[in-house]
Parts: sequence; C-alpha cells; structure tokens
Amino acid sequence: MRPYTLKLCLIFLCIVHCASCIAQRSLREVTVIGRRPMREIGVQKTRFDSLALKENVALSMADVLTYNSGIFVKSYGRATLSTVAFRGTSPSHTQVTWNGLNINSPMLGMTDFSTIPSYFVDNASLLHGSSSVGETGGGLGGLVRLGTAADAPDGFHGQYVQGIGSFSTFDEYLRLTFHNERWTSSTRVVYSSSPNDYKYTNHDKKVNIYDDNHNIVGQYHPTERNVSGAFKGFHALQEVYYDDQNGNRLGLNAWYINSNRELPILTTDYADTDFDNRQREQTLRTVLSWGHNRGRGWNTDIRGGYVYTALAYDYKRAVGGEGPMAVMTRSRSYVNTFFGRAEGNIYTRDRRWLFTANISAHQNLVRAHDKNIVTTDGNDAIVGYDKGRIDLSGAVSAKWQPNSRLGMSVVLRREMSGTKWAPIIPAFFIDGVISRKGNVMARASVSRNYRFPSLNDMYFMPGGNPDLKSESGFSYDAGISFDIGRSHVYALSGSVTWFDSYIDDWILWLPTTKGFFSPRNVKEVHAYGIETKAELSVQLRSDLLLDLNGSLSWTPSVNRGEPMTEADKSVGKQLPYVPRTSASLTGRLTWRTWSFLYKWAHYSRRFTMSSNESTLTGHLPPYYMSNIVLGKKIALRNVGLDFKLAVNNLFNEDYLSVLSRPMPGINFELFIGISI
Amino acid sequence: MVSALASCMKWDYVDPEEIQTDGHGLFIINEGNFQYGNASLCYYDPATKEVQTEIFLRANGFKLGDVAQSMTVRDGRGWIVVNNSHVIFAIDADNCRETGRIEGFTSPRYIHFVSDDKAYVSQIWDNRIAIVDPRRYEITGYIEVPDMAMASGSTEQMVQIGQYVYCNCFSYQNRIIKIDTATDRVVASLTVGIQPQSLVADAYGKLWTICNGGFEDSPYGYETPALYRIDPQTFSVEAKFEFALGDNPSELCTNGDGTRLFWLNDDLWQMAASAPRLPFTPLIESRGTIYYGLTVDPACGDIYIADAIDYQQPGKIYRYDSHARLLDEFYAGITPGAFAFK
Repeated sequence: MRPYTLKLCLIFLCIVHCASCIAQRSLREVTVIGRRPMREIGVQKTRFDSLALKENVALSMADVLTYNSGIFVKSYGRATLSTVAFRGTSPSHTQVTWNGLNINSPMLGMTDFSTIPSYFVDNASLLHGSSSVGETGGGLGGLVRLGTAADAPDGFHGQYVQGIGSFSTFDEYLRLTFHNERWTSSTRVVYSSSPNDYKYTNHDKKVNIYDDNHNIVGQYHPTERNVSGAFKGFHALQEVYYDDQNGNRLGLNAWYINSNRELPILTTDYADTDFDNRQREQTLRTVLSWGHNRGRGWNTDIRGGYVYTALAYDYKRAVGGEGPMAVMTRSRSYVNTFFGRAEGNIYTRDRRWLFTANISAHQNLVRAHDKNIVTTDGNDAIVGYDKGRIDLSGAVSAKWQPNSRLGMSVVLRREMSGTKWAPIIPAFFIDGVISRKGNVMARASVSRNYRFPSLNDMYFMPGGNPDLKSESGFSYDAGISFDIGRSHVYALSGSVTWFDSYIDDWILWLPTTKGFFSPRNVKEVHAYGIETKAELSVQLRSDLLLDLNGSLSWTPSVNRGEPMTEADKSVGKQLPYVPRTSASLTGRLTWRTWSFLYKWAHYSRRFTMSSNESTLTGHLPPYYMSNIVLGKKIALRNVGLDFKLAVNNLFNEDYLSVLSRPMPGINFELFIGISI
Repeated sequence: MVSALASCMKWDYVDPEEIQTDGHGLFIINEGNFQYGNASLCYYDPATKEVQTEIFLRANGFKLGDVAQSMTVRDGRGWIVVNNSHVIFAIDADNCRETGRIEGFTSPRYIHFVSDDKAYVSQIWDNRIAIVDPRRYEITGYIEVPDMAMASGSTEQMVQIGQYVYCNCFSYQNRIIKIDTATDRVVASLTVGIQPQSLVADAYGKLWTICNGGFEDSPYGYETPALYRIDPQTFSVEAKFEFALGDNPSELCTNGDGTRLFWLNDDLWQMAASAPRLPFTPLIESRGTIYYGLTVDPACGDIYIADAIDYQQPGKIYRYDSHARLLDEFYAGITPGAFAFK
C-alpha cells in the first residue's frame, strides 16, 4: 500500500476510534416514586422522547404517532391528509395545542398531522380522554400537546441535514442556535420537495388489448405512476427566549408554513386530460409568552398570539385533452385567530394542595369562498361564508396529596363558543401507590366533556346547519403501571389502562336530496377498550444498548344509536375506518456510534361500511408496516457528522391503507447531517 | 417472528368469474362514496327475486370506479357512466363482460343514443355535451351550451322527441336546452325554475321537469320548487305546479306508456300526466328516511324505491306493484341511485 493511502487509512481509523470515545446513549434512570408531580395526579399521559421526535428530518407528527403510540393514524402517503382516531373517536375529537395555542382548524375542527414537521417539536405528549380536561375542552378522544423548548448548548451552534430519497425526494433542515445565561435564540428551517411519482401495479384497473375490429382480446393490470402527488413544503420556526435569572422568562415563537401539495388521483381514474388539482397553504402562528416561577409556591404563565392562514384549492382541467386550462373550482379561505391564555398555580405551604386556574380565548375570523359561479345574468356569485366566533375556555382545579401514596384532583371547566355555553365540564382524578417495590401505581378518572361544532359544520355553503348541538361525551378510565430496573443494567416500565366513553349527538355529514351534504347530530357511540404500553431498555454491554418501546390498543368503537331507517344494519357495529386493534413497536440498538432502528406498525382490518360488511369492492385487510433506519455518527474535532439510511416499507408490500389510494413499495432515503 | 411482523397485507386481485343475468330484470347502479372508488353494479331478477351484487367487478376482475351515475341499456349492451372515473364502460348485458370503454370526459353524467353511431353524453363541470361514436368508442365532438361557464357547467338528463334532444341544466342552472340532432347544436333555451333536476316525456308529447328550488342562502337563489310541463313545439312552459317552500322533490319518472308521472318528495307521489293539479296524498309514505332513487318498470308498472340509509352501507330497494303493495325488498350496493331495465 502506498504511504499516502496508508496515512489516509490511519487517519480514518483514528477518527473511527476517537468517535467511539464520544459519549454514547446510556440507560434511562428508573423513576423512584417519592414526591410525584401534583399537576399530573391521575393523568394518563404518553410522552414522546426526543429520539422519537428527532429520528429523521423527513418525518411529520403523523409518522411519530403511527410508530410510537396506539393511536390510529389514517393517511395515504407522505404529505397527504393525516388524521387520527384517538380511542376510537373522530379526528375532530382530538384537540391539538402548540405552545398552548389550539391549532385545530376552526373550519374543519381537526388537525392534519402531516403539516407538523417532527423536528419542530421538542416536547410532545398525549393526554388520553379525561386527562385532557385540565388543559382544554373538546378532547373527547384526548389531547396532543406539542411544544418547543429553550434548549440549546452555550454559544453559537448549527446543524444542517440533507436528505436524498427515492422518487427524487429532497429534505433539507437547518438549525442555528445561540445561548447564554439570559438569551436563547433558535432558528429552524425545513424544506421538503418531491414529485412523489412512485410506480405501482394497479389492482383496481385493467387496460384492454384490442384486435383490428375493436374486440377485446386481452386485459392486464397496468403499472402506473402516482399522478398529481407532488409536494413542496417550507417551514420556518424562529424562537427567542429571555430569562432574567429572577424567575421571569419571556418567549417568542413564530412558525411559518408555506406548503404546496397536489391531490393525487384515485386508482380508478381513467382521465387522460391535463389537469391541476392543488392545495396551497400559508400559515403564520405566533405566540408571545411570559412565565414567572421563583420556586416560592406559586407560578404563572400568560401568553398571547396571532395566527393567519390562507388556504387555496384549485382544480383546473385542459379543455379537450391539452391546451389552456379551464378553472373548475377556485376556493379561497382566510383565517385570522387572536389568542390569549393565562394560567396560575399556587401550592399550600405544606405542598399538599395545589390550586390551578387557567383561561383561554380564541377569536376566529373565517372568510371562506368555496366556489366561484357565474349566474345566468352574468354576475359573479360567491358560495361560501364569512363568520367570526369566539371560543372561551376556563378551568379551575384543586389537587390534594395528603401523603406520598395518594393523590386526588378535581377539575371544573366551562366553555363558550359564539354565544352558546356548554354545561360545566367536570373531571375527577385519583391515583395511588400500591407498592413501592416495583413502583406500582393505580390511577382512575371520570369526566364529562363537550365539543362545539366547527364553523364548516354550522355555516358551510351549501348544507351548513347552524342549529347543530354540541357533541357530548362521558368517559371514565382506570389503569395500573409499574416501573422497575437496576442501574446500568436494565429499566422496564409498563401500563395497562381500561377506558369507557359514551359520545352522544355525534355530528355526521349526510347527503340530502338536493345533491349536497348537510351535518346532523345523529350518532351515539360507545368507544371503549384497553391501552397497553411497555418500555424496556437493557445495557447489553457497556457500549451496547437495546431499547424496545411498544403500544397495543384495543379500541372497539360501536354505533349505539337508533337505526336511521328500518333497513339500517349499522347499529351495534364498529365505526368505519376505526380499527379494533392498533399496535406499534420500535426497537433501537445502539453500539458505540452506530445505531439500528426497527419500526413496526399494525392496524387490524378497517371496515369501510357502517354495516361492517366486507365486500370485494370495499374492504381493507389488516395493515402491517416495517421500516428500518441505520445510523452512524462521526465526531471530528469541532464538527459532528451523522449519516442515516432509512428504508421504508421494508418488505415491499403491495397494499392500500385508504380505498383507491395507491401506496409506494420499498423506498429509501439517505440523510447526511453536520453539526457545529 | 419475521412472518408475524411482515407480509400479511394484500391488495387483492379479483379473478373474473362467470356471471349470467337471466330474464328481463333490473340493473341497479350504486354510486358508492365520492373518492372511495367503491361504485358497484347489481342485478335483480323480478321473476326469481334473486339479487346478484358487484357483478361488474366479479365478471371483469377490476373495479367499476368512483361514482357510477347512470346506465343505459341498448341492443343487449349496457353503458355505465362512471362520473368521477371519467369513463363510460360498455358491457354485455347478459354476462356483464366489458366490450369497450370511452375515455376522455370531464365528468360524465348520462348517455343518450341518437342512433347506432351517435350518442350524447351530458357532463358536470363542463359547458359541453360530448358527442361519441359508440361503435368506435370515442368522442367525436362537442356541443357547447351557450351562456354557460365551465366551472358551473351542468347538463343532465336527455329526452328525444323527433329530431330534437332536450336536456335539463341542473347544478347552479335554470334552463332546458333544445339540441338539433341533425346539426349537433343548441338551437333554443327555455328558462324554468332554479335547478331542474330531472326530465321526462309523457304519452302526450309533453316534457316535464322538476325544479328543486335551490337552497336557502344560495347566492344562486332560493324559491318554491315546482313541476313544470313544457310544450316542445312552442318550447314554452305550459303549466307550473308548485310544491311548498323547503320541499325536496326529485327523481321524476314515468310509467311505461307515459300516462303517469312519479316523483319523490319525502314520500313517493304519482299523478296522471293529464291531471290539473298536484295530488293531495302520496302513493307510498316515507319510512322516515331519504329515498335516493326511483324507477318504474315499463313492462308491468312495478315501482322500485332506493333507500340509501346512511350512505355508508348497502342501500335497500323496495319493490311495489302499481297499487303500492309491497312485493319484495332486498339490499343492493352503497348509495343506489339509478336503475336500468334489461
């Protein structure tokens, strides 16, 4: 070997050897139950750790929820509408907050989790069912609480990650931080783009082979490309925090989204015309906050903000195959939201009582132009609505921990939307240590909850129903958890929770004879089941760590209403698109600077019909998906390098998860990251 | 363990099977749900009371598509207009095997045969009716509807009297247009009420249409729905029968000889085509549901009503004789909206 080459090899080996000296991940400490946080008495919470949130820059919160929780996420690929069914409820029964600001769409009442890049979230947790009442109302399924943190190392630092993946997918991520004793600044930028035109064999369609007389002499399933599935998304998050070292912290968070997504065609679409079917969004979310906590037994947090959203949906088709496009639908919606929230917590001197109060207000102003039509006298007319509505929500709670074994909490919440007040929302929580050995705890809660109809439910043109009642739910749950381990050897924790919810006046959009849909309060649903979680970490060797994290939820969600007609077979059946079982498993092996991650998700079969019939045309078999990520870190003197190779759909499954929406086969993405 | 974690998922292939539609029965065209791609075709034999479901998929091994709007049977061939799949499939009416397809539509609704080598296809989201050659399975031209924008374009059902085809313009529209089949051009327009939903001809050479009146707060207008009788010779409104404001009349059809009119307005109503006023009592009362489809057997006068229930499960069809006696009831596919007799 030439001396020069030998030198290079030696340098490389040195780098690799030195890299093994950098701190590797270590076993998490087992929580010893002493004085438990009073804020979370009886609360059932699932926390997502930073490894799940910062796994790779291409992921959205939809992916994080799919592989790290027992929630069912319905989506049909990257950058497509991704909604959740939390404990068997509908997407608008899950509230989502970001730094205290509710980010559910005031028009639709739900959140599209594909629009939230996971690298923009520093802390994320699920509050299941009743456990959401302390933070917000309307969470009949629960709350997804997202937030950012002033977490940065001292001085100036930067990180850049470049992702290059299948189907010409590119993901870029940049983060710049500054931190000293008082100031923290963080700038994050993400840009993702892809034509997303993956190939698939279309099982729903056949192409004919004709003879000269136009008789069909053969047929085959065509290999097609995903058409009109391109996406481009730009996100920027600027944060500034000031800590006066005297218990006051000021914060500013500003999140800008510019997204441009095409809506893909169905597998059953035979159109060969040029068309453009596209949704664009620009959103700015800003939150300004002041928090005071001097450890004196009380603290307060006041925040306010402003959100602006502009949504554009355009559908154009070329007249006669190719050529200039004629506009079919041109829909524009503008949302302005003013938001304010104040919270105070006060402990008694003996720290056995905690009293909290919080109040929030969201003033939503929505102008939605759904369709432009030309009347027969040649005038333009707009189909849409222009409405404002204020949503107020306030709660007081008392928490009591008479001793280190027992805790109780009462929450009373009141909500108003527009001019309508919901009845009082009460919730009661209790938890207790059953055994200090093994940290075995039991917890239980019961609550009543309400969700107001969204603005589209009430005012959509045509069909909106301003006479809709709020949906209401009554739920209770009980569970047990444990946490054991031995320092530097292993840590094992698990929990089992049984829940039971009854939701009345569930809003359903149904067709009318006039040819459009209109919402009504029709359903009564009994959603119940069992949620289990387990986490195991084992230090196999000093430089080898294994982490396993699994969730399994059994969530029957059954229609218990009256039959709509004598022919109705849906009573007593599972709701469409809500699986009875959802499960996820992640396994991570970390060896020195190498890591190997395996992710698996499963949903039981989903019915597409309310009668749960399984016809040839409309059934979705059980879903199993495996992804892996292989990672390698290299530490140079002042620079860290991070390589990751992600393989999605590892077993190259040919599948659908939503009827008539094709999915990609096995696909790859390589990420190269550099940190200074 | 690997097999437990891995591939048990299947996007099913369906192998074609032999289908036979016996007798002179009824095809039921089930729309399915918009964007689900779960439209389907059923066949009901009134003599045996047997129903066959999903016959297009089972005969051909691929899906019918998204929102099957209507079907026309002519010379032993069924032409199924699949609106949101932008295609019309032609099948052999006896075995349901595809014989060909016409592609290239914007959003087709109904097909009307002018002759063996010319048919008109009405559309929504398009101000043109497509002219097709059914023998060559291709679009050969278009009939542009004057004073109609593409975005709110709508042509719907077609009825031919002599050399003229009459068509109602439905969504966000208020006209009946008259097309000369010799020149394939619109030669006249008649303004009726808001949103004429269906169009038929009676035994006396008159045209009838039901205008559903629009909806409250519509920028296009909202008025009392009405049944109109039109004289095609003068192309003018002869009579107007008003319903109540807020009523939802739809699905106008006739019996075999055109002497009686039938429609849905919560209940099922019928009226002699020569009657001077609307009936006071319905023929068949509502079951507390929204009836979605209606047809009358031209041969024997049996009435078929479709109940779509909640639009997310197979709908139910009720079969009555002409005296409103229930003869049979059976389940079809999701959102049964149209019928075609073999």
